[in-house]
Amino acid sequence: MLIRFFIFIIAFHACFIVDVYGSEPQHDFFEAKIRPVLVKHCYECHSQESSEVQGGLYLDSRESSRTGGDSGPAVVPKELEQSMLLQAIRYDGLEMPPDGKLPDHVIADFEQWIAAGAPDPRDGQAESVARPTIDWDDAKTFWAFQPPQPQKLPDVLKAGWPLQRHDFFILSELDAAEIIPSRNADPSTLLRRLSFDLIGLPPVEVSGLSGSGLSDLDYERYVDHLLASPRFGERWARMWLDLARFAEDQAHIVGNNQSLFYPNAYLYRDWVIQAWNTDMPYDRFLSLQLAADLIEPEDDRHHVALGFIGLGPKYYDRKRLQVKADEWEDRVDTVSRGLMGLTVACARCHDHKFDPIATEDYYALAGVFASTEMFNRPQPNPAPPENEDAKKAKKNAPDSTIHIVREGKPTDLRVFVRGDVNTPGEVIPRGYLRVLSEQERVTFQEGSGRAELARILTDPANPLTARVFVNRVWGQLIGQPLVATPSNFGSLGEKPTHPELLDDLTARFVSSGWSLKWLVREIVTSATYRQSSIPSAEQLEADPENRLVSRMNRRRLEIEAWRDRILSVSGELENPIGGPSIAPQDPTHRKRTVYAKVSRFKLDPMLAMFDFPDANVHAEMRVETTTPLQKLFVMNHPFTIHHAEQITDQLLESADDPAERITKLYGRVLGRNPTSEESELIEEFLTGDSESTRDSWVQVTQALIASNEMLFLD
Amino acid sequence: MHRHSPSTPQSTPLSRREMLARSAAGFGMLGLAGALNAATPSNAFAHEQIIHFTPKARRVIFLFMNGAPSHVDTFDPKPALAKYEGQKPEGKLFKAAKAGYMPSPFRFSRYGESGLEMSELLPHLTRVADDLCVLRGLHTDVPNHEPGLLMMSSGNQQPIRPSLGSWASYGLGTENENLPSFVVLCPGRPVVGPQLWSNGFLPGKHQGTAVNTSDLTVEKLIANLRHPNMDRDQQRRQVNLIQAINRIHQRPRADDERLESQIQSMEMAFRMQMEAAEAFDVAHETQKTREAYGMTDFGQSCLLARRLVERGVRFVQVYYVDRKNKQPWDTHQDNNGRHRKLCADSDRASAALLTDLKQRGLLDDTLVVWGGEFGRTPYAQPHKDNKPGRDHHHTGFSMFLAGGGTKGGLTYGNTDEFGMHAVENRLHVHDLHATILHLMGIDHKRLTYRYSGRDFRLTDVYGRVAHEIIG
Repeated sequence: MLIRFFIFIIAFHACFIVDVYGSEPQHDFFEAKIRPVLVKHCYECHSQESSEVQGGLYLDSRESSRTGGDSGPAVVPKELEQSMLLQAIRYDGLEMPPDGKLPDHVIADFEQWIAAGAPDPRDGQAESVARPTIDWDDAKTFWAFQPPQPQKLPDVLKAGWPLQRHDFFILSELDAAEIIPSRNADPSTLLRRLSFDLIGLPPVEVSGLSGSGLSDLDYERYVDHLLASPRFGERWARMWLDLARFAEDQAHIVGNNQSLFYPNAYLYRDWVIQAWNTDMPYDRFLSLQLAADLIEPEDDRHHVALGFIGLGPKYYDRKRLQVKADEWEDRVDTVSRGLMGLTVACARCHDHKFDPIATEDYYALAGVFASTEMFNRPQPNPAPPENEDAKKAKKNAPDSTIHIVREGKPTDLRVFVRGDVNTPGEVIPRGYLRVLSEQERVTFQEGSGRAELARILTDPANPLTARVFVNRVWGQLIGQPLVATPSNFGSLGEKPTHPELLDDLTARFVSSGWSLKWLVREIVTSATYRQSSIPSAEQLEADPENRLVSRMNRRRLEIEAWRDRILSVSGELENPIGGPSIAPQDPTHRKRTVYAKVSRFKLDPMLAMFDFPDANVHAEMRVETTTPLQKLFVMNHPFTIHHAEQITDQLLESADDPAERITKLYGRVLGRNPTSEESELIEEFLTGDSESTRDSWVQVTQALIASNEMLFLD
Repeated sequence: MHRHSPSTPQSTPLSRREMLARSAAGFGMLGLAGALNAATPSNAFAHEQIIHFTPKARRVIFLFMNGAPSHVDTFDPKPALAKYEGQKPEGKLFKAAKAGYMPSPFRFSRYGESGLEMSELLPHLTRVADDLCVLRGLHTDVPNHEPGLLMMSSGNQQPIRPSLGSWASYGLGTENENLPSFVVLCPGRPVVGPQLWSNGFLPGKHQGTAVNTSDLTVEKLIANLRHPNMDRDQQRRQVNLIQAINRIHQRPRADDERLESQIQSMEMAFRMQMEAAEAFDVAHETQKTREAYGMTDFGQSCLLARRLVERGVRFVQVYYVDRKNKQPWDTHQDNNGRHRKLCADSDRASAALLTDLKQRGLLDDTLVVWGGEFGRTPYAQPHKDNKPGRDHHHTGFSMFLAGGGTKGGLTYGNTDEFGMHAVENRLHVHDLHATILHLMGIDHKRLTYRYSGRDFRLTDVYGRVAHEIIG
């Protein structure tokens, strides 16, 4: 209402000016019939007063009306059919004003005015609708676009503290801030931390290793033991699957049509697990996912890796151009944020507002995916089904196919102005981002360009690919990435807390053969990683957010590690690698949570409740929420009760003495001995309870499962 | 208790880290505030809120007629359809029309002091005509259910954005920490399903809590609401044990606010078992009240919606789905017969809801929205049984709003003489969203969330607030 009133005032004011100062006679018609309509119906969105100008069009001066906006000139004197303004108010293609068509006589006025040459006294400058140009040379100087280089080690006060190169960078910053790093965590805490970080499970017994008095040699032996475990790939696959928005179906189901589903999607998941277990170099890992069919056309062992794109979302009514364009955006988004740490999809409708990414860059990349087809390829030798679940999955599968991609017709896209598929612009050859090209944008020549994209991304000189990955792995292990926005290294992303550290570690990651296991080992054998997570008062005061890593971050377990921990301590965890997906809350499904079915349509409620990301889009990192619904699950769901009963029954068999039982229970569930305070607490609970012994013990066991200690890692 | 007073609007986009820090820190405080205010929703604004104007609607009930109701048979009378019966519509969009215009067989009259025009299919709603704000100028982008539902729910045709209810929850939080802020009621599941109440990239607590109303037993409605065999006293003892264990664990880790949040959350869960059990149990209502709403899935869901908003749930979405049909309003065949039946049920329940809210003094600040994903064609869709239907229609359709600061007895917007195109005071779905947020005190252009390098809005770059319908 207020806005309307305000516009009325302006209109009134405009008339007033005309009356006072008079006007050229040929402008009378404009003042009487045209200007008031423009002011009343158009200026709200198409003038310099507008809070957000729509369509790049300004109608508040003669020049800008004639220059026009995104769709072309709004007013072409004497040319009725070329004047977009007229088309719009006639509701012919465009429909303006949006809140209702103007009366016919007003439209006739506009026709008459334009036919008469559109005389217009408004001398204001045309608002510059020209695109601000990107200064490419300047843009290239941004920190994230410099190839990472090994760095000189900084001086530190306590030369004895660092164990790995990156410890020097951490310590020198702490020195500068006058913060003392934390002492080492105690051995049992450290082993637990290592075990969850490397294999996602509580510590296993290794002969010759005990919790007390852990030597550096013992520690490294334990690290190597965990790195060699087949559980390692299961743990680390999940990080990748989140950012690859891995899922086994679509958000849309029309009737019972499951033709868009991916019944054998698990084969891709299993490939990722296997790749990490065999320490496949990250450059190869990426290349195969983008272009295995082009890199190794004869050897199809790794073609299932193409599920990275081939398992992407297929939207409803996917033959429509608009929907195709939405699907390309998904591919560009997943590749650019996931692999490059850049938000290229922001440039679909206009040049990126903050980063040197032009709309042309977006369409150059989108062209690669427009030239690529999603494809279900029959498997030559489908593996025989292993169990009942597998048989069922096979039976429901349309056929034994892998869900991958293949080359389509190479197509260069036209820019869609403002993202609108109805306003095609200039043709953009398939290619790479200009700011990361040496001079002009690198264009791709071979087919879709996927193989070239893979090559350019895995070039050792690529400034982003390795850096983005190293940052993610650091974040996974330290609990806080060096760049706090791991999928956005652009100017709106955070700057690295330790840029030299990130550079040095990245350069050495590449020269060590892009090895994930090397990188993990490097980080977890450092002094930084071994610190206690209990802060001193001084540390809290000087660095409350722990950006300088003066202590380890206490971390909350993800749903995978939490569920696996419960299954593991109840003795029910089953460990075959790979295979069809499971229902994680079904007590009869005993495989690790990485094997849980991931649905875009309806995510398993247990996963959804505990912050598992929506698989419809790339997930940068897990968000943590704390809700009463999670606690209701812990208190009342058959899953937790079942495992509490399993543990209790074994406990009651194994010992008679309550004190001994309590000690055993703590050892089993939490991996440590109870304090005397804790023992007394439990004993008090048991004596005050009038129920049967078993029920009381089940409640105690469930209490430990429900405790914060079970959920957090020191 | 508003952190952001209306006179100093601010809604700085939060980084994910800030968001986490806030929700973690906020939760600890809410524990106490929530406990103190558990049953007094009206003054329990303890949440971080993003308010730009004085809110007129504190809560929303969205009654969603799945499949899309016919506007020309309900709220948009078109006598010209009789005059030009059988004539095919013009325009390339409608080239595929297999039959011509089909007049509505239902009589339209004016009701209430305002003289609002409605069809005879809605006899109960005619009695509250002066509370209804009928929107006749709606339009959306495509005439297909999936993208239409997603558009109406999230402002985007693809399932990649947070829903309206999630945005409301993010902007305003909840009025009762013992209940979810956004609840979805549906017997079974509508077409598209959970993406319609997805939190998308917003934090998980803003996700709609979906409740299957095909069995109204409280234990069936809410997952894990009861322990299978422990009674309340036993569980209290157990929770006390858990909390004592947690307190010992917390002692050397006192700096970590997340541990306190977990402890508080456990307490809330324990209380919620009572609160939710009571809130979700329509058996607490008198038989007379239950019958007034109608003893149908939709009727009882509307009653449940009232119980929930009364207890501080911010946003309740009620889907009109029946057990055999996920989109009963999709009347491609026997439009007239099926609308007669569907309207009878929806009319009774919707009117009972409005009357009930009014009697309890809740209608003034509760916005009720009624409508579907689009409308139905003014022309016929022939059917072999000689009972023609109406097809999907997106270029002009009707909805109504009531309460929550809207002008009652108002008809806003219009379609052309055949009901084909919205031509006057047109409202795109984005405009409807902008208006709903405005009624809730939120500037749709300033309710943003920083994700993937940019600030996202429910209305993207669109949206016009229909100030004319605000009282």
